[in-house]
Amino acid sequence: MTDDATRTLGKGSAPPGPVPEGLIRLYSMRFCPFAHRTRLVLRAKGIRHEVININLRNKPEWYFTKHPFGQIPVLENSKGQLIYESVIACEYLDDAYPGRKLYPYDSYERARQKMLLELFCKVPHLTKECLVTLRCGRGCADLKLALRQEFCNLEEILGYQNTIFFGGDCISMIDYLFWPWFERLDVYGIADCVNHTPALRLWIAAMKQDPTVCALLIDKNIFLGFLNLYFQNNPDAFDYGLSC
Amino acid sequence: MSGGSARSLGKGEACPPRSAATLRRVSGPGPGGRAAPERSHAGGSAPPGPVPEGLIRVYSMRFCPFAKRTLLVLKAKGIGHEVININLKNKPEWFFKKNPFGLVPVLENSQGQVIYESAITCEYLDEAYPGKKLLPDDPYEKACQKMVFELFSKVPPLLLSFLRRQNKEDCSGVKEELHKEFSKLEEVLTNKKTTFFGGSSLSMIDYLIWPWFEWLIALELNECVDHTPNLKLWMEAMMKDPAVSSLFIDPKAFRGFLDLYLQNNLEACDYGL
Repeated sequence: MTDDATRTLGKGSAPPGPVPEGLIRLYSMRFCPFAHRTRLVLRAKGIRHEVININLRNKPEWYFTKHPFGQIPVLENSKGQLIYESVIACEYLDDAYPGRKLYPYDSYERARQKMLLELFCKVPHLTKECLVTLRCGRGCADLKLALRQEFCNLEEILGYQNTIFFGGDCISMIDYLFWPWFERLDVYGIADCVNHTPALRLWIAAMKQDPTVCALLIDKNIFLGFLNLYFQNNPDAFDYGLSC
Repeated sequence: MSGGSARSLGKGEACPPRSAATLRRVSGPGPGGRAAPERSHAGGSAPPGPVPEGLIRVYSMRFCPFAKRTLLVLKAKGIGHEVININLKNKPEWFFKKNPFGLVPVLENSQGQVIYESAITCEYLDEAYPGKKLLPDDPYEKACQKMVFELFSKVPPLLLSFLRRQNKEDCSGVKEELHKEFSKLEEVLTNKKTTFFGGSSLSMIDYLIWPWFEWLIALELNECVDHTPNLKLWMEAMMKDPAVSSLFIDPKAFRGFLDLYLQNNLEACDYGL
């Protein structure tokens, strides 16, 4: 059970109070891949935090004071400072908190990780489109082809570098930024998209060995339960799998 | 957008010895004079040699707003650099080895390391070179600059679509959308109560968004900021910055370039030379 196993707040809910000193707050949703990035970084760096899950189909009115469009993830610290956009939030955490640095120190290596992120930029949209298309009972051969092409680009990087992870021999920020979409391939029904990319499959296996990734792995049946309700437009979808 | 090999993310390949005639140095902060820009490199041209020690090279195009970001940072930080202009309507094959996306700007240092994507190049320069820091040290202030950058992100495609329509369809819809985006930026300045987007002094975020406001001036579209007074004041303050004014685009040359570029003319990138 991860530390974000709390019921969502929706319309009509009371706004939460200020963030207690010594903690940072994350507005999130248990199944959102973008918020997943931030939860990985919080965990990897051992940052004390609290999670407030938001009902994305029934957003609380007060939530728009945290994000102008009501999106997640959003970080809020005890000074009331708000940070949003998942990548900006992850970089903020790496900069602001001590301990293990997830981005490299070297300026070129940092730039390289950011360039890799650009290479990845079509993946979120393509995986989501595959999911939606399949759930609507339509074929997604074209989308899967496009996704496989993106995965080939990533495969080429791993091949050229000859390292297990995207940042080198150890896991680093870029791997955590990619991970949420690869964790979802199976439950989205598109796991065969990595059939022709062996280095990427090795990376997936290595990622599953990482303690941070492991601690936040989402149970497949719970995820499927969420997806079923979500695609029926059931607003209780976001709380699926939570025991009262 | 993504095409070609991703190999240039690696250390870079060995290049043949450079021909002195193809390169011209542009050194760090001069008293404001510019070195004469060189004609762009096009399809069939020989690849340039390695970057000399002590300099960084930027692959650019004189009228590209994304490349302008990098040039502004190089200037503002007084970084010794050389410029190789690329003919974006007729790209040399070797350029795709520098950036598989075939876009400018691209940085290349004397170790053969290559960095692309304008915002990434700017951040790299700020981190790798000493002197005045353009990005704040404070993590939250730095995150704020990046959030403003996201807020700005709809402006470049909007302006481009506005330019493409100019003489054809009615562009009032696009203008209205532009006004909306400018209002968001106005709100930032109003809330911060500072002249610049990062505070009371000019910093990275101001340079990152400037090139598109330079377009407004070159195209005599200043009325687009009539209802956003803080933004208007910001533009005036930017024009006083030494880096901005020394790299200011000549409106006539820009309009000449734009006409040719929109017609896909191969000579567009060298207009005025």
